[in-house]
Amino acid sequence: MQPLLNVENLVKRYDGKRLVALQDELSALDGVSFSLFPATTLAVVGESGSGKSTLALCLACLEPPTAGCIWLEGKNLVALGEAERRKVRPQIQLIFQDPANSLNPRWNVLEILTEPLRLQGKFNSEGIERRASCLLEQVGLSMHIATRSPAELSGGQRQRLAIARALAPGPKLLILDEALSALDCSVQAQIANLLMELQTSLGMTYLFITHDLAMGVHIADEIAVMHQGRIVELGPAEKIVTSPHHEMTRQLLAATPSIAQATRLAREP
Amino acid sequence: MTRRVLTRWLIVLLGLHGLVVCAGFFSPYNPAEQDRNHVYLPPQLLHLVDPTGHLHFRPFVYPWKLRPDTPDLREEDTAHPLPLRFFVNGAHYRLLGVFPARLHLFGGEDTRICLLGTDAYGRDQFSRFLYGGQISLLAGFLGAALTLLLGTLVGSVAGYFGGLIDDALMRFAELFLALPWLYLLFALRAFLPLAVSPLKAFFLIIGVIGAVGWARPGRLIRGVVLSAKERDFVRAARGFGATDRYLLWNHVLPETRGVILTQAAILIPQFVLAEMTLSFLGLGVPEPVPSWGNLLSNLQQYSVLVSYWWMYLPALLMVPFFLGYLGLASSLQERTETYMIERRSLGGVT
Ligand SMILES: Nc1ncnc2c1ncn2[C@@H]1O[C@H](COP(=O)(O)OP(=O)(O)O)[C@@H](O)[C@H]1O
Ligand SMILES: [Mg+2]
Repeated sequence: MQPLLNVENLVKRYDGKRLVALQDELSALDGVSFSLFPATTLAVVGESGSGKSTLALCLACLEPPTAGCIWLEGKNLVALGEAERRKVRPQIQLIFQDPANSLNPRWNVLEILTEPLRLQGKFNSEGIERRASCLLEQVGLSMHIATRSPAELSGGQRQRLAIARALAPGPKLLILDEALSALDCSVQAQIANLLMELQTSLGMTYLFITHDLAMGVHIADEIAVMHQGRIVELGPAEKIVTSPHHEMTRQLLAATPSIAQATRLAREP
Repeated sequence: MTRRVLTRWLIVLLGLHGLVVCAGFFSPYNPAEQDRNHVYLPPQLLHLVDPTGHLHFRPFVYPWKLRPDTPDLREEDTAHPLPLRFFVNGAHYRLLGVFPARLHLFGGEDTRICLLGTDAYGRDQFSRFLYGGQISLLAGFLGAALTLLLGTLVGSVAGYFGGLIDDALMRFAELFLALPWLYLLFALRAFLPLAVSPLKAFFLIIGVIGAVGWARPGRLIRGVVLSAKERDFVRAARGFGATDRYLLWNHVLPETRGVILTQAAILIPQFVLAEMTLSFLGLGVPEPVPSWGNLLSNLQQYSVLVSYWWMYLPALLMVPFFLGYLGLASSLQERTETYMIERRSLGGVT
């Protein structure tokens, strides 16, 4: 099977306007490579500051990488001009950690949800309405909330709305950057289940970014552990848990009591 | 809470501006009408009680007469009360500059009633104050509009596109902040003929005020744009294939609305004062057109300064206007700040 996404040696350095360049300036991304197959989930796990969000922004064509290639179905996104990149962006959708910040607080639910449809310009107003109610239904919301502002929704509803909106342009890849971190535990589980249902029904491909290894193991087929801008370990979820190679992975495992316990039980005969 | 305070200030300002906008109706006379027999008349006080102690329901004033024992001191002629008439027909005017009318809120019967006294040509100061407000406040409004237009243009381009454009525009703005404007203005004025038409002078003032003022609000707006463009909903919209123009117009600029409104409330009175300074120096709208600056420029003469205290009164009457704008500005600012705080706290609560 052909991979949907192929990332080769991606490097990103933020060069601030400093008069004196710092000697030991780290790259936010320092040679990241991986492949992602259709209808699978890759979890990117790492501590804060390890470069996960930078990776998400680079893949979504929202930040230009310093070096490297991003192949999406055989097309190198890094080499594209701005106009072409704008056309590609809808195919890779990003969902942010804080839905209160990713939904324009001045707009109502319907305006927010239909923005990608209006930007695509493919639908007439009737088609947009129909598509909107269809999208809301897909994420377990209904048109009753169409005229509410995002501030009037619960955290879970807001993140569902963000997911519905990200599905609107018909993306091939959904990047979720700590999309569950701002939510309560029970809501986290509901949204995680929603994501898995959507994967079965739509055949969606996910890049699931989290600092919570347990959540990564729960939701993903493969796990990439990031540390200081590099992927230090990459493999099937169960293998990462049972036989971690890198020190960083062990630390993350140790910080996740539920998995640590499970593996200890598994090791005992 | 802030909303109520804001509404209160808005109502105050609306009332005050209503007086000025409908100056034709609220002022009894044509502001240019002269009466050389009654120059520098002191203000006539409204009375309700006559010397015998009787209460009248119709307010009246006393005409001024010379005190018999002095050459130039005046006293109220209590023998001839002048009752105020309401909704009288008088001088022709155009309401809002369009509708011809001659109805006035009040007026005298055959003698003129000048509540704020008269000036060197015997013109009614009260009428001149209201009509003068039209020129001065309009100059303030248009000056602020021009300033904010330029400031928003420069600030949003600089903040949004960043990089070299940002650097260049901000250095340019600093240059503007550093220039000695009053003197440049003198120089500019020196290029123009001595007598310019009132309309030309008016637009000259607005042009100058607008060109001078954009740098400060421009920098403020740049700051707001700078933080707004990094917000996730802007990133999300870019992810849907939005163009820069779409993002600026639909997501970034609406974020600057609070700052722009607050700045407008600060700039309008500031620019009214600027118009007054220019008119005081003779660089404003020329006489006989009344403006607040022209009214106060009477005080340039020492004799007026010491003898005719009522020529100060227009300045006193301007104070409520300025206070209204200051109150509006501070409650707008408060509202913008609470809005920001509310929105920030929204993130944590789920
Ligand atoms: N806009 C930026 N400018 C400069 N440095 C940045 C910027 N965004 C992120 N960084 C730096 O890049 C590194 C990785 O950050 P980030 O990708 O946000 O990590 P994570 O999402 O894993 O917490 C950090 O050291 C951070 O300080
Ligand atoms: Mg992050």
